[in-house]
Amino acid sequence: MRHLTSFSRLLPALGLTLLLLPGCYSRSDMKTEEGAAQEAPTDVPPTEVPGAVPVRTPESAVAAAATSQPLQTVNVFLEVSGSMEGFMPKTGASGENTKFQQHVAQFLSEVNRTSAARQKTFYRIKERPYKDSYQGISTTVRSGIQQPAKSTDIPSVLDTLMSNYYQPGSVSVLISDFIYSPKNAGAIPYIKTDITDALTRSGSHPEMAVSVYGYTSDFRGTYYPALVASGKKTNCCDTEIPYYIWVVGPADAVRTFDQALLEQQPSKQAHFGVTYPQPNYSLLSKFQNKGSWYYGDAGASKRNAESYRVVAVSEASAQQPVEFVVGMDLTTLPGQYRDLAYLKQNLKLQGVDTDAKLLDVTATTSQTKASSGPESKFTHFAKVRLTRPPKAARPLVLRLQDQRPAWVAQWTTRNDATPAPKTFALSGLLDGLEAQSGAEKKPIFELPLTLQPGE
Amino acid sequence: MKALFRSIYELIGAPQPPADTPVYRDVVFPNIGLLNIGISLALVVIFYYVINRMMGVATFNKGRHWAIFLVLNALVAFGIAISQAHAQQVTDHSYIYWLATWNAILGLIWFFLFSLILRKGSTNASTTPF
Repeated sequence: MRHLTSFSRLLPALGLTLLLLPGCYSRSDMKTEEGAAQEAPTDVPPTEVPGAVPVRTPESAVAAAATSQPLQTVNVFLEVSGSMEGFMPKTGASGENTKFQQHVAQFLSEVNRTSAARQKTFYRIKERPYKDSYQGISTTVRSGIQQPAKSTDIPSVLDTLMSNYYQPGSVSVLISDFIYSPKNAGAIPYIKTDITDALTRSGSHPEMAVSVYGYTSDFRGTYYPALVASGKKTNCCDTEIPYYIWVVGPADAVRTFDQALLEQQPSKQAHFGVTYPQPNYSLLSKFQNKGSWYYGDAGASKRNAESYRVVAVSEASAQQPVEFVVGMDLTTLPGQYRDLAYLKQNLKLQGVDTDAKLLDVTATTSQTKASSGPESKFTHFAKVRLTRPPKAARPLVLRLQDQRPAWVAQWTTRNDATPAPKTFALSGLLDGLEAQSGAEKKPIFELPLTLQPGE
Repeated sequence: MKALFRSIYELIGAPQPPADTPVYRDVVFPNIGLLNIGISLALVVIFYYVINRMMGVATFNKGRHWAIFLVLNALVAFGIAISQAHAQQVTDHSYIYWLATWNAILGLIWFFLFSLILRKGSTNASTTPF
């Protein structure tokens, strides 16, 4: 009895121990506790920084909302001038067809079926657009042009598109060989200006964007070079001839359309004025990391992976450099900007008061995809090295520059008298698109980070 | 609180590997720090108040008995540091054992301090250890 009561007196001591235990932290507690706080981005760059790098505000949320909305209208224009006949020859006895026929017929079918747009309209372009049904235009592609138009003039086509079909939430899709033959040779140097004028004649559209997708196809028919003087070539050709799909419309509509219908297939591409939401990105502290650094974000231990932005460097020297990797999820960007060669050339690191250098850009591998770490969530990795510890918090920005892709120059010719997989004055046409979208070239994306000394 | 534990535990150097620094500072240090104080206090209370007052045990009040509790406390502190570190999935590193050793030493200090403060209230052991 005596023993029992004394044992029950133990209880206050036990109670005290128990009271102390809940004071302890665990990661999962904190996650739930501060879940709300995480949603507010805390990556505001430090204010005391001199010469702060301008930082684009994350627009992912806005863009995500925009992408989920289907387009109002998609207007597809197929050029049916004589020069297009070789792409769409009448079906031969053997039933063979060209790559153009196969690709465009399939593309038209996809457009017709897609849920990304509410309304789809198809037009044949002669001297002006003629409305056609899906069946009608599909038949034209499959079994050849019945009455080819004499010639279509690219600037006037673009002018028509801009003045009659340019609407918010709508895109115009133009399928053509884009061989621009000016009326006389003297107009050739003005191709760029002609295109810019055509796009802006109906008024200025600051939101306007154009995506150009380039393909090549075998060609069976008469080839009309841009330089009329050199004469047409019948029974052309042994080489493949390029054709293009241009998507014209407001930036977000063009992006939505590209993403839904043109990104699946390999193609050459160039984009003008299209804006993209900031990709997801994060520092990775346990992926190819070197040296003495750690996540300096407030509450770093309880954040979700994918949102680390601050590198706290405790020690760095030439002998013991710090290396860190930034994971980027570029799935929302078009293929051109996901291309590793393009990224290696055009992804730039800009910092203030630091010797940080971009060492390499790599794509995800089967190993990183299968990893249980946060690196499995990213498609590309940028590795940065620095040997000098920062003196105070300093901004560091990874920026993807918008460069004309190399294929444009390769596909451009000044003289297309000899059929080749090149287009007359292509870069001039694209110059015109670029001039329209403004003098200042915006980067594709900017990923702000902060470098700070370790505490 | 976090800053206090951080300054105490970083006396033996920054956490290793550096990538795990936030986890140690935000989670492991406060956890083992609080547990260490709590357990030291609990063991002191058990020795002086439970065994040597409430239960009235007359044969467990010598210096060596006190030393048993002191060592027990250090062992518990060592174990707690290791288990807390592993529970937070930190990267394996010898630092975990250095931290555990440091925690054991801190346990000895806490136990000694609490003994000095609380021994007066004990009936049978008010002069233990001296």
